[in-house]
Amino acid sequence: MTADPPDTATRRLASFAVASVPGNEREALDLVARSVAGQIPPARLDRLKTAVAEATANAIEHGHRGRPDLAVDIEVYREGEQVVVTIADQGPAVHGGNGDRPDDRDRPEGRNGAEDRNRPEGRGWPENQAEVPDLARKLAGEQEPRGWGLFLIRHMVDAMDVVTRDGRHIVRLAMRAGGD
Amino acid sequence: MDERAARMGLRWVGDDAAVIDINGDVTAAAEPALTSAYEDAAKRGARRLVLNFGGLEYMNSGGIGMLVTLLVHASRNRQKLAAFGLSRHYREIFELTRLDEAITICDSEESAVAAAAS
Repeated sequence: MTADPPDTATRRLASFAVASVPGNEREALDLVARSVAGQIPPARLDRLKTAVAEATANAIEHGHRGRPDLAVDIEVYREGEQVVVTIADQGPAVHGGNGDRPDDRDRPEGRNGAEDRNRPEGRGWPENQAEVPDLARKLAGEQEPRGWGLFLIRHMVDAMDVVTRDGRHIVRLAMRAGGD
Repeated sequence: MDERAARMGLRWVGDDAAVIDINGDVTAAAEPALTSAYEDAAKRGARRLVLNFGGLEYMNSGGIGMLVTLLVHASRNRQKLAAFGLSRHYREIFELTRLDEAITICDSEESAVAAAAS
């Protein structure tokens, strides 16, 4: 008897948008949790929820500067043995690419429709998240107390990618489904 | 104001020990409530501060930053911090951020009050 081939099909589980209002990341994490119910064990689901909330809050606060007329688009997929969540904001185009976001300064090609897969460090994130947060340094006043968001995301999910496509800034989070 | 932002209650469990009961979301929006509870406790001579996370619904990176700020104030004032009531997930986050090295994590209020004395 041969083993079943690995499940590599991609299936969209949910697609929704939240207005860029601080606090709406709570709505995003609830909707994502509902869409993957039963597919991820509770401990890993908690981690995915934290990562989704942090990425959505970043899109709201830093991608869209809390402009309620701009929506953060969230999609949830089952890709084979993993759950994938994408969180997209309108990226540098919102600010006219005027260099007031780290990714404007680093990556002019992000505004011309080219796709650019990046290391997440310092791109599309507040500058205080470009360095690894260190509690001892924060307590000594050498780092700001805040700046934990990107660090949390990276440790909560199995994989994180940041992509710029058609001027949109997209965070892709992946978490293994099933099992413990 | 964020209606989900945590409400903070302050109660005394000894001459120099105060418990801050946290109910709701620990985010940056909860900072005024936490600052007020902390200042009240400090003004009345608390040397030991115990954070009760039993009513915690959600905590994000802004909330972690707020706890770091609390730690800075407590350290300046030579106060000790302990906590109890954290879920497994938020214990993991405390370990990840190393907050557990500065705030002793306990299973009960009694053990947290005792830990803050040591």
